[in-house]
Parts: sequence; C-alpha cells; structure tokens
Amino acid sequence: MSDHTSFDIETPGVQAWMGIAPAVIHVMWRREMLRYFRERSQFFGGISRTILWLVILGFGLGAALREIEGYTYAQYILPGVMTLNVLYASLQCSIALVWDREVGLLREVVVSPAPMLSVTLGKLLGGASIAVFQGSIPLLLLPVIGVKVSVFAIVAAVIVMFFMGIFMTSVGIVIASRLKTFEGFGAISNGVIQPLYFLSGSIFPLRGVIGGVGFLDIPAALREELRGLGIFALGGGWVVQLPGWIQFLVLANPISYQLDLLRFVLLDFQQLPMTTDLLVTFALPLFAAVVATIAMSRTLKKK
Amino acid sequence: MSSEAEPIGNPESTAPAIETVAVRRLYGEMAAVDGLSFQVSEGEFFALLGPNGAGKTTLIQMLTTLIPPSAGTASVRGLDVAKDAAAVRTNLGVVFQEPALDERLTAEENLEIHAVLYGIARRSRKKAVESAIQWAALGDAGKRAVSGFSGGMKRRLELARALMHGPKVLFLDEPTIGLDPQGRRDLWDRIAELRRGHMTVFMTTHNLGEAEACDRVGIIDHGKLIAIGPPGDLIAEHGGSEGADLEDVFIKLTGHHLRDNVATARDRMVNFASRGGEHTK
Repeated sequence: MSDHTSFDIETPGVQAWMGIAPAVIHVMWRREMLRYFRERSQFFGGISRTILWLVILGFGLGAALREIEGYTYAQYILPGVMTLNVLYASLQCSIALVWDREVGLLREVVVSPAPMLSVTLGKLLGGASIAVFQGSIPLLLLPVIGVKVSVFAIVAAVIVMFFMGIFMTSVGIVIASRLKTFEGFGAISNGVIQPLYFLSGSIFPLRGVIGGVGFLDIPAALREELRGLGIFALGGGWVVQLPGWIQFLVLANPISYQLDLLRFVLLDFQQLPMTTDLLVTFALPLFAAVVATIAMSRTLKKK
Repeated sequence: MSSEAEPIGNPESTAPAIETVAVRRLYGEMAAVDGLSFQVSEGEFFALLGPNGAGKTTLIQMLTTLIPPSAGTASVRGLDVAKDAAAVRTNLGVVFQEPALDERLTAEENLEIHAVLYGIARRSRKKAVESAIQWAALGDAGKRAVSGFSGGMKRRLELARALMHGPKVLFLDEPTIGLDPQGRRDLWDRIAELRRGHMTVFMTTHNLGEAEACDRVGIIDHGKLIAIGPPGDLIAEHGGSEGADLEDVFIKLTGHHLRDNVATARDRMVNFASRGGEHTK
C-alpha cells in the first residue's frame, strides 16, 4: 500500500438521474429489511397487539356487540387491527431517524456523495414494506374469526397497506425532522398512533345497525338469503348515531378513509364514499412523500 | 517510485488538499468560525486542536460539505465545498467521533452500504468489502452484528470503511477517543501506515501526544486560528521554559479556564443510546 488510494478499487461514482439512484434506493431499502428481519421484538409486538385486539377485544366485546351490519365484531375490527400494526411499523421505522441522525449510520450517509432523494425513497419504501409485513399478521387469524377472503382481496389489501405505509412513514419522517432529541417511543405511541387509530372507525362503526340479536344464530344459508334481500339484522338492534364532534374528528382523519378502503377490499363493507377513499389512499401518500423528502433533506443538511 | 513532485493518482491538481480563505460560519449573531485562513498540502498530516466549543466541529462540518460557509471560501483539492459538494464528497473519507454504524447489521453489510453510497462498481464491491475487512483485521467478525463489537473493533471498521472508495483526504474527528491504550496504539499504527502512503490526514484531537507526532498543528479558539506550524516550532516559540511540550503551548494560548458545555441534543441521544434506550440500536 504505497499509494494513498488504499484498496485499488474501481469507483465510477454513483449513477443517478435527477437524484434517483436505483442502487442507493435499493441498498437503503435492503437495510430496513435486514433490520426488520433481524430484530424479532417488532414481529412479536405485532403478534401480541393482534391477539389483544382481535382475539381478546374482538371476542370479548363481540359477546355483547353481536354484530355490526351482519359482521361479527372480530370481523369488523380485523382491518382496524391491521391498520394499527401498519401505524406502529411505519412510525417506528421513521422515528428511528432521530437517533440514526445523531448516533447511527445516517451520519455516514449524509457525508457520502449519494443523492439524499434516493436515501429518502429507500427509507419510505422500507417503512412501507415493513408496514405490509406487520399489517398482514392479523390475516393469519382469518380462520379463527371465520371469514373467507379471496386471494385477490389479500393482494388488494397488501396494496392498500403499502400506500398506508408510505403515508405514515412520510408523516413519521416529518415528525422526526422536528424532533431534536428522542428519549423513548411512548409519546409517539400515545400522542400520534392511538388518536389516529381510535378516530378511524377501527373499533366502532360510523353508521349502520348494531346488535341484531339472533341474526347470527340463523343458519348460514338463510342469513345469506336475508342479506341478499337487504336485511342485515333481525330481532332488534340499534342504529349507530355518533356524537357530532367524534364524527368530525373521524372524517378529518385520513386513516379513516384508508381503513375504510381496506375494510371494503377484505369484507366488502364500506362506510365512507369510494371516491374519497381512493383519493386519500392513493393520492395523499404521494403528496406526503414529497413533503417528507423536503423535510428529510432539510434535517440532513442542518447536521 | 515516482518522484516527490508528482504525487501518485493526482497528476492534475496543484491545489492544496485543503484551503480556507477567511472562512466564517455564523449561528445567529455568534461566529462559530470567525475568518479562518489556512492550507493543508497533499500528503500532509495535520492536527487541529482547540478547547471544547472552539469551532472545530463547525469547521469540519464545513470542510465535509455538511454546512456551507456564511462568508469566505473553503475548498478541498481545489473544489469549492459549497459549489462542488458532490465532487468534494467523493474525495473525502470521514470518521466521526462516535461510531456511525448500523449496529444491527454485520460489519460486511455496513461496508456494502458504503460501497453503494460511494458508487463503487458493482463487480468491485465484494473485493472492496473483503479488502476492508482484512485491513481492519476483523476476519470472521465481519459476518457478525456490529452491536457485539468492542470500541476498538468499531473504530477499525470505520477507518477501513472510510478508505474503501480511495479517498484523497481523510478526516478523523477524535479518532482514538474512548479506546484503551492497546486499541489506541493499534489505531495509531494504522494511521501512521496511511501517512507513509502519503494520505492527507486532517484530524482533531485532545491528545496532545498524538498532535506532536503530526507534520503541522493548528490551534483554534473562539473561532479564530491562534497558532499554526510544526509542533517543534510552536513549542520553541510559545513553550517558554526548557522541556516544554505541546500541552504547555496549548494551555498558554487558550487559557486555564474550563470549557464546560451544556449537553447538546447529540450528547443526550448518545447517553440515552448508551443506556440501551428503546429503538436506538
């Protein structure tokens, strides 16, 4: 090693077009995947959340709320629990930026010649991919909650979760860019995830008929026939009437629409207008990703 | 062997490795770096000294293109740090004070990321990673997660990583801090080897023994350069009494009062992470 170029390596430079360097996007995405598959605690967190909400709350509360528009309570909250896992996964991935920036690999990334747009895109895709894995955990319990879902519906659900993941990872990046220091995930969990979750129609319906005592005891074939006639409840029940302010908050929460679309593709049950669902699910994340990219490049430059 | 006049791998450049002209960096009203002008030539081994808060970090941030100067210019091998940031970055190897590694990944995976970020050719990446592992004497540890590494192993890994893409100028921010004497000696031997290979090294240090081994030393305080020159000259000029060393010079020039800083956001993060805080590994 007499030369100061120590390893005699070919370094043609990062191949990029307008800040898009596929190799950089891929390696930053791969980093997130490696971290996710190596750290089991996140996976077990997803399992325990699923059991708590879907099984314990689903069947426990489901004993009282016999059905919501013909669905059991566990079936009704299935998409909500998937959403909860997506929220945790995306925010955990993006909030990690706070320490990554101060004491982690990101400091190495910011002095490299790699375009920061590609670094951000790799992060977004990584967060969204983890969100899909975590969000799919409740699907393992489909047989337990007694609902048949087609392969097509699962593919559609994965697509919806991916966009939800892009959206929430972007939101997390913006939050992370505003946080100077970070001593625990608790505030994020209580201050961001839970309000978004509770106010999304995840665990209570926005409209429709609840109860319908006895309807579920009718033989399945007859139940199908009655549903075909537009009868979703028998023997009483009550019509959902949410307080105005909760309605307002639910309608103002973008997660409500994404969750509504997820419930539609899985259970064919929709409570909000389709157009809004599609716009909020597929267009809003793209906008959020642009904002996140700007926030990220700003936070990286400052350091 | 080529002659000293023609440095290997750098036929086009006659510019100094590092040059700053009246460079300033303001934070609000406060000038963290206040009109610094100096040069570091190719192949020079340069140490920057200064008490805490003297402006060392800000200067390094400007030279590594992380923040632009508020006034004046700074360049690396003739490339302006503000205008040609991308070109400057390919010329630099940087090792930070605290490890900048992904602890959940293996040493090899960390190096692979570096290879991509610096645009090392796909077919050369494997070789680059292997060479770096070998240089850092990590052997089989290359396939283990970095979270299980000692401080010395991490530092060797980072130094090898900084060399992977063939940088022309190496920035080392407190390279031996936190290492035990064996680790420090080992790392210092490796740095000395780079010096024999004519690498330009710009380091900051609080270890004045290490600084005395450098070609030249710059001392800054309150954002201003207060002395620069070979350690021997500085000792002769400012040391005063017989048997004075660089520490005497340093204390004489920067005063006796302590520079206690308030904990920065980074300090708090480091403390939190070192206690094993959630989501920090």
